[in-house]
Amino acid sequence: MTRRITIDPITRLEGHGKIEIFLDDAGDVSSAYFQIPELRGFESFCVGRHAEEMANITNRICGVCPEAHHMAAAKAVDAAFGVTCLPAARRIRELIYMAFFVTDHTTHFYCLGGPDFIVGPDAPASERNILGVIRKVGVDIGLQVINCRKRNHELIKRLGGRGVHLCGALPGGWSVALSEEMRRDFLDCAKENIDFARFSLKTFDDIVLKDQAYLDLMFSDLYRHETHSMGTVDAGMAPNFYEGRIRVVDTLGNEVVLYDPKDYLSHIAEHVEPWSYLKFPYLKKFGWNGFVDGQESGIYHATPLARLNVADRMATPLAQAEFERFFDTFGARGKAANGRNLPVHQRLATHWARLIELLYAAERMQELLEHPEICDPAVRQVVEARAGIGIGSVEAPRGTLTHHYETDVRGVLTRVNLIVGTTNNNAPISLSVMKAAKGLIKGGVFSDGILNQVEMAFRLYDPCCSCATHALGKAPLEVNLRAVDGSLLDQQVRG
Amino acid sequence: MRSTNGDCVVIGLGCPFLSDDSIGPRVIRELAAGVEESWRLVESHAGGLLLLEELAGATRAIIVDALLDSRRTPGEVVVAGIHGSSQNAACGHDCTLLQALTIGRAMGLDLPTDMNIHLVAVVADDVTTFAENLSPRVASALPEACRTVRLLARGSLFANKEAA
Repeated sequence: MTRRITIDPITRLEGHGKIEIFLDDAGDVSSAYFQIPELRGFESFCVGRHAEEMANITNRICGVCPEAHHMAAAKAVDAAFGVTCLPAARRIRELIYMAFFVTDHTTHFYCLGGPDFIVGPDAPASERNILGVIRKVGVDIGLQVINCRKRNHELIKRLGGRGVHLCGALPGGWSVALSEEMRRDFLDCAKENIDFARFSLKTFDDIVLKDQAYLDLMFSDLYRHETHSMGTVDAGMAPNFYEGRIRVVDTLGNEVVLYDPKDYLSHIAEHVEPWSYLKFPYLKKFGWNGFVDGQESGIYHATPLARLNVADRMATPLAQAEFERFFDTFGARGKAANGRNLPVHQRLATHWARLIELLYAAERMQELLEHPEICDPAVRQVVEARAGIGIGSVEAPRGTLTHHYETDVRGVLTRVNLIVGTTNNNAPISLSVMKAAKGLIKGGVFSDGILNQVEMAFRLYDPCCSCATHALGKAPLEVNLRAVDGSLLDQQVRG
Repeated sequence: MRSTNGDCVVIGLGCPFLSDDSIGPRVIRELAAGVEESWRLVESHAGGLLLLEELAGATRAIIVDALLDSRRTPGEVVVAGIHGSSQNAACGHDCTLLQALTIGRAMGLDLPTDMNIHLVAVVADDVTTFAENLSPRVASALPEACRTVRLLARGSLFANKEAA
């Protein structure tokens, strides 16, 4: 008799999703699914709105990623209206975006992914959270986390007009220029961020890299997948979160394609399954070959780990040193046949990659603030609405985010399509959940700790189901364990 | 961590595009016309640690939100304490408001006491339809919700007036 496990809500996941695990007669896993039972609705809702409203509408999709949607929307409107963003405004946008990255990656490491390492994967669910982290590592680190979030949210509030759902973007510009006083304040903030990022990397070193049990977990086959990698790079093939071209490298480190974000439909298609509202993007070059990894599969991931895999270098010095140490640790630096780094496929290394990105974002803030023209008052321009197609893309913390708008002559939206970070990772998340479940649940034996290790397989992607389904707001998620006949054997409802 | 965030922070929670879920932001926009110097008004569609940051430095906090309660009539204005905090006050990415307050106090943040955190909730009729207007009964409750917030912010309405 098949038995079934459902994990719903998945702890520490933004939005509503569900893991369904089916057991066979022997109590082993026959199949596992990561499902999104929410209905996506934002794209339809936005048709008929003025395009310039999109930056302020789509930033309400979620309370966690508003800056990513705000920036992607602003860029899509720029493109639809055929306007180039003014240089100082472009730098302000990127500055705010880097501050957002610092807060978001900090939150994930200390509040979402970190508890699995810091508190332990087998700790009670009530302890695997930020409170448990503080109890384990001390109040001072908790205070540093809060202060880091606060100073960067303050920057976003002062430049973006609001702390949570910022409203500063204008077609071709930004609503407020950076004053010299703000520049000095934010430079202090950037330097504190750099110190905090280095401290976080040291914490990761001390707690994870110096602990053989965690190292074994990170290197284990349980959390390893060979899929292609996607990320945005600058002209020097370093990751850039605000703009650039999309690079895809295969499982061996060879470049598959390097394309302008506006050409995404030439390279990406979406597969649909009847059991989830969330689609499964794949690379057209390889096609959809089902839920399999490997060189011939069309499945790719777009995550902090993927962004390091597609990069040849980091654009800032401290992050570059960490980038080299990262690939050295996995014996992958310069080891691809073409002389590039071999991609790292150990998915739990995504947590480490996220901290390297945190350091890059902090350093990039400093670079932007030291640019002699960032205080240029010319940040607004007159823009005429027109019929057009605009595609705006940024790297959201959890993957490549694309907004695609089409407008009529009044600038009113006639079509909207969004591909968000979590959507890119839907197929690899499903692979990871399946592999972890099959590896951990044997003979019908499972525990809260085992189910949490299944959750860890998807949590490393930092999925955001509110964004992925373009639903509004947030809701929890569940894990169900079911028998052959579909009857519910166990349910984890947490979050 | 000490900060000067005003004596009273009023936080309107909810999404402006989901009909009655927007009652929190709508109250904030109404109050903005006659805001007193010691009040700080915040619109938010995010809870957890983000709310903690908004609460830091305030001596009194009022959180305005929509309430789903089939035992009550849509449009009813309910005043509750911190333990009545809603789903909107939680963040799926970090923690609930109560957990956030526990964290903040453990770290010595300057936060309002539980007695000085109030929830003003308006019983909603519809929080799932994409719409920028309130349902009729909730729209008619907007002035009462604003009046209640003003009284709480001025300290003229106390905990012993709170509804169950």
